[in-house]
Amino acid sequence: MSSFIEFKHVSFRYSEEQPWVLKDVNFKINVDEWVAIIGHNGSGKSTIAKLINGLLFPQEGQIIVDGIEVKQDTVWEIRQRVGMVFQNPDNQFVGTTVRDDVAFGLENRGIAREEMVTRINSSLASVSMNDFLLHEPHRLSGGQKQRVAIASVLAISPTVIILDEATAMLDPRGRAEIMETINAVKHERNLALVTITHDLTEIVQADRVIVMNNGKVWLESTPRNLFRQKDELQSIGLDIPFVAKFADELKQLDVPLNHQPLNHEELLEELWTYHSKM
Amino acid sequence: MDISFKNVSYIYQPNTPFEHRALQNLSFDIKSGSYVAIVGHTGSGKSTLLQHLNGLLRPTDGQVQIGNFTLSPDEKLKNVMDLRKKVGVVFQYPEHQLFEETVAKDIGFGPKNFGEAEQEINKRLYEVIEAVQLPESLLERSPFDLSGGQMRRVAIAGVLAMAPEVLVLDEPTAGLDPRGQKDMMDMFYQLHKQKGLTTILVTHSMEDALRYADHVIILNKGTKYMEGTPLDVFTRKQELNEVQLDIPEIIEFLNKVEKRFAINLSYQGQSLAEVAQQVVEKLKGKNYE
Repeated sequence: MSSFIEFKHVSFRYSEEQPWVLKDVNFKINVDEWVAIIGHNGSGKSTIAKLINGLLFPQEGQIIVDGIEVKQDTVWEIRQRVGMVFQNPDNQFVGTTVRDDVAFGLENRGIAREEMVTRINSSLASVSMNDFLLHEPHRLSGGQKQRVAIASVLAISPTVIILDEATAMLDPRGRAEIMETINAVKHERNLALVTITHDLTEIVQADRVIVMNNGKVWLESTPRNLFRQKDELQSIGLDIPFVAKFADELKQLDVPLNHQPLNHEELLEELWTYHSKM
Repeated sequence: MDISFKNVSYIYQPNTPFEHRALQNLSFDIKSGSYVAIVGHTGSGKSTLLQHLNGLLRPTDGQVQIGNFTLSPDEKLKNVMDLRKKVGVVFQYPEHQLFEETVAKDIGFGPKNFGEAEQEINKRLYEVIEAVQLPESLLERSPFDLSGGQMRRVAIAGVLAMAPEVLVLDEPTAGLDPRGQKDMMDMFYQLHKQKGLTTILVTHSMEDALRYADHVIILNKGTKYMEGTPLDVFTRKQELNEVQLDIPEIIEFLNKVEKRFAINLSYQGQSLAEVAQQVVEKLKGKNYE
């Protein structure tokens, strides 16, 4: 697999008097991969997102997106390829209707009208918001707003979508909507996904997890392997989900586990195997 | 302070095309010194309810009693400032409301506004920063130079500095990382116990409601949908699912274990270690049957 995003020895700080937010960060993200970036508040994870699409530029190192180095004079090329959804659903709207809002990014890029109509419809269909074309964005629920924000991003056909704590301000129903939408989009379109979060239940479906701590890559792992490391994660201000905690208690009781379970069903399977062997 | 809502309704923009009934005939009692969680979806009326607690809103119908203060439709509360001294509200993302030059001034702003003496404010300042675990070295810093978690603690310290008897918390841990969330919730629980506060937590987190509250009120579409102890409420899965609320994950999982293995487990708020032990013992026991 070819790498689509690459960080090479990237360091960043807001000004010379301030401490480094990122220090010598290296990683690669492949085409068609879902990578979750997690870390405590202030670990530098949101800075990574802003560096990928040229909202910020590093003082040291290089960031390559789709073969192009992110620089002042390449930001527009980069932003054709990188779509971002931010935390606050109320801060991402410019249009007075859902349709206008999705059209905004397309107009900016001078897309022809017929093509625009097709893209608006297909991207709203991808997030199941096609019945809301003429609705006012600010009257939608938080989850619906974020889905429209995702549709606006999809409409410009990016090759990577970054969700920067896009579920943090939503209620549980809104969160579930977004996770469902992300899965559907990932399934339907060939793109790379970067989700930034500190909710560990949201990383279960990712292919790979990059754990940030104090501006450095602390660990790269699969979710399954990551969840074995309860004490280590807790020591850097994170936690493991319920299923992993329960599995941990079972290990303490000398119950052998074949695999590190990721969800209720897998955990029940482990208990079943244990039970039937006795 | 005892709090009671009697048949409270609240209508936004009444007699206009935008009329919206946010609360409908809502009644409940909160005993002084209790820790109550109010749970419900966005739009269930939680924020409207909360704004009655310190007199930001008056009911359109019915009556709200907070200690000796009465909020009723026809009469404006004269001593609303006294009410606000007693009921501290920590709104969502309270750090957005910081504005002073230094942490110390921001924390002291509330009590100063209520006319407290300089000496008293100073005394409280040191008490509250200890309570929210902020180091003294930050007092002369600008609140805007702090991390998100520290900024939130400053904002909360500002509410505590008014020495409220009732503490209202609206999603106080939103946006914090897991350790920040746990530290914050543990801190509120300690304050609740130490100062004998009446604490009202508005939350989406069933886990937090289960862990900290002694009473839960579930709101749906502006009415009271359910009420009881956390264990009472959270074992009624069907009813909660009907209004698209989930039960705490531990209870959900134990239900699945019971079904799969045809065993009975009782959840009484034990620790996860105890629960795991109980499950393993039951599974062992089942083999001998």
